[in-house]
Amino acid sequence: MIHTGEKKDKIDAIIRACGVMLRMNKVRPDARESENIYYQMLSNYFTRLQDAKDEGRFVAAHTVFFPTEILYAMDIVPMHTETTTWMISLFTGECADLLSAGTDLGLASEICTPHRGLAGAFASGALPRPNVMLWSNLICDNTAKSGELLMEINRCPGFFIDHPFQHSEDEMKYLVGELNSMIGFLEEQSGHKMNWDRLAEIVARMDRQIELFREICELRKAVPSPFHTQGFLELLTIDYLFPGQPEATDYLETLRQELADMVKNGEGAVSDERFRLMSFFIPPMHLIGFLERISQEYGAVSVTEPFFTYWGEGRLDPNRPLESVAEKSYMIPETRMYGPLDDRALKSIVDCAEQYRVDGAIYYADVGCRHTCATIKLFKDILNEIDVPVLTLDCDVVDPTITSEEEVREKLERFFELLEDR
Amino acid sequence: MFDRFIEVNSTFPKTAHVLEHKRQGGLVFGWLCTYVPEEIMHAAGALPVRITGHNQETELEDGSAYLYVNNCSFSRSCLQMGLRGGYDFLDGVVGSSTCDGARRLFDLWRNYIETPFHHVLTIPRKSTPEAHALYYQQVVQFKERLEEFLGIQITDEKLHQSIDVYNESRTLLKNLYELRKLDNPPISGAETMEVLNASFRMPKELFNEYLKDLLRDLPSSGHTHNGLARLMVTGSVLTNPEFIKSIENQGALVVADDLCTSTRYWSDPVELNEDTTPLQAISRRYLDNFPCARMFPSDKRFNRILSLVQDFKVDGVISQIIRYCVAYAHDLPLLTERLRANGIPMLALDVEYGTSGSGQIQTRVQAFLEMLGARKR
Ligand code: SF4
Ligand code: SF4
Repeated sequence: MIHTGEKKDKIDAIIRACGVMLRMNKVRPDARESENIYYQMLSNYFTRLQDAKDEGRFVAAHTVFFPTEILYAMDIVPMHTETTTWMISLFTGECADLLSAGTDLGLASEICTPHRGLAGAFASGALPRPNVMLWSNLICDNTAKSGELLMEINRCPGFFIDHPFQHSEDEMKYLVGELNSMIGFLEEQSGHKMNWDRLAEIVARMDRQIELFREICELRKAVPSPFHTQGFLELLTIDYLFPGQPEATDYLETLRQELADMVKNGEGAVSDERFRLMSFFIPPMHLIGFLERISQEYGAVSVTEPFFTYWGEGRLDPNRPLESVAEKSYMIPETRMYGPLDDRALKSIVDCAEQYRVDGAIYYADVGCRHTCATIKLFKDILNEIDVPVLTLDCDVVDPTITSEEEVREKLERFFELLEDR
Repeated sequence: MFDRFIEVNSTFPKTAHVLEHKRQGGLVFGWLCTYVPEEIMHAAGALPVRITGHNQETELEDGSAYLYVNNCSFSRSCLQMGLRGGYDFLDGVVGSSTCDGARRLFDLWRNYIETPFHHVLTIPRKSTPEAHALYYQQVVQFKERLEEFLGIQITDEKLHQSIDVYNESRTLLKNLYELRKLDNPPISGAETMEVLNASFRMPKELFNEYLKDLLRDLPSSGHTHNGLARLMVTGSVLTNPEFIKSIENQGALVVADDLCTSTRYWSDPVELNEDTTPLQAISRRYLDNFPCARMFPSDKRFNRILSLVQDFKVDGVISQIIRYCVAYAHDLPLLTERLRANGIPMLALDVEYGTSGSGQIQTRVQAFLEMLGARKR
């Protein structure tokens, strides 16, 4: 079960791929400057991770929706485990190996591939061994349960943030207490002291970044919509890996300006916008390129993703940095899927559909992701009430063997025909 | 001896007791997970029953249409029963943020089944003092919402009475389990499951009477069971005694378990003392109870499993995990390792809720028993 520490990890494959993307962008006439910034940021993130060991820096592996702001403020090198695993599997084509390494550990095949793959990635040495493992229960049982096994594989200590389910004052207090305990744990393990001034600066920048996320969303309401169909994945990655970092502000400001210029000029992400779509959850990684192409072909563009880009209300307050980090975890779009799905949560979907004038919705039904699939019928019913049809695409975010390009093409084409007929 | 329990289970959810309780104007509340404190509903004068699904493996068309195919068959089975009117007598449904299956079952229940009262409790995954404080707040809030809904006061006196009734039940069940420690217990694993199932499906007071009768009659009944191996069953929620029977029919004896429908349901009493209010005592018990796989750290659960293994002289453990029951599936590698370190073999089965142990399961159990037999020789 133990991390095969002597093997070389696969981080360099991501760095190389980022380099290729950057070079390709340089020769592409339509490349966005924000895209260049994005790939450069990714390259820097993974280079820092790769160099961490040689430089004797302290590395904390953490799961998704984690308050990475705290790690940056403590000068700890973060490793976003799910994102790093996806990228390795995407860029090395070794997805099957990582998944089967996860199965070999005794993880059942129903455990979602992001988590089975990531356990496999640590066990097989594809991911470097961290100094500590950090995780929380945002947003599902898989995330909540993965940490202890990863601690055992990596033979490292760890800390679990117990994120409360609802959003009362008592729950906020509990969450702030959890964050404080984690800081204590990290100080002890790393020997680094929390730098509260730095955390305040990060929170101030994060507040600005949330504003920028919102402004970008506003621009996407334009007809035609300016941001390309899978662009939301960039936005997600920015918050996953760089919350409150200066380069994230740079990226978001550049992107916002690019989109604003397009809106002003009446330009859309697709040359002839015919279908405005809402997307639910994450499309299969191996189909991203194809989805972009078919989007151009049919003039179909994702204009809103209620659980990925539609930030909750509120502001962060640098004078109360830790409380703000806790508060942010309730503003992240995805956490709308976390608490009870009450009328407010459901209304936000309808609001999104109306404000963004969507014609249809696509639901990426990840076979291993039970809490997101459990809402398919519910969301469909709500959207059908306002005359928005929903296409469900069974898939797997990581494993390319679950859905083929042909299948998806066939389903999408039929769906576009249906939208056309209406 | 077991007929009365079997009668309850075979007619559940619309048992004679439930119908009679309703006829007399009583309220019935359904709860979804062992972290929902039953005493509060009982003290409010309601009859709490645990929401479970179809007792056999059945087609889950509705359950799958609403919850999708990749949710555990337990949540799909419960929802299907609810959608088809099986629980139309319920006055309230109380859920908790325990696992993805349970929370989404609650979400869909709330949206598609017209039960008048809904409430969901946040359940911390830790049992630190801060987690206890948060859970206590949740319990207080639940009590207040219930009081408001019913227009009553749930007094400390009433809570004390309910604690007594529930603690008595826990003690009686503990006594029943003591009998299972014997070399030749007077009760089989399948029979025990019938008793347990009835325990959360009928008025507790009456159940306690039934159980007292059973405890009085069992030792002198001449009933004894023995087996080639003494087994423990662990894993996801399980309510079909046929599953246990299929294991016991192959010559083993199931003597212990850590299921949320068995030991984890009854094991720890509510402990009252002068310094605690009944509500504090209740909330302490529920969060500190024999943990579910959702709780952190998992070693707390593993250690309790290991001590059961020792106390009940268990030769081997059968893990039965419902597909897509992520909490238990994630614990499997670690639990297997802990048991192996203690010389206890484990057989891991993938099952669907309601299974009675199909051919393939039987073959694997048989091979496991042979292996245990060879070890003993
Ligand atoms: S894919 Fe779904 S189940 Fe897996 S980690 Fe993501 S949210 Fe959780
Ligand atoms: S797995 Fe745990 S949390 Fe989920 S229903 Fe069972 S006891 Fe409750």
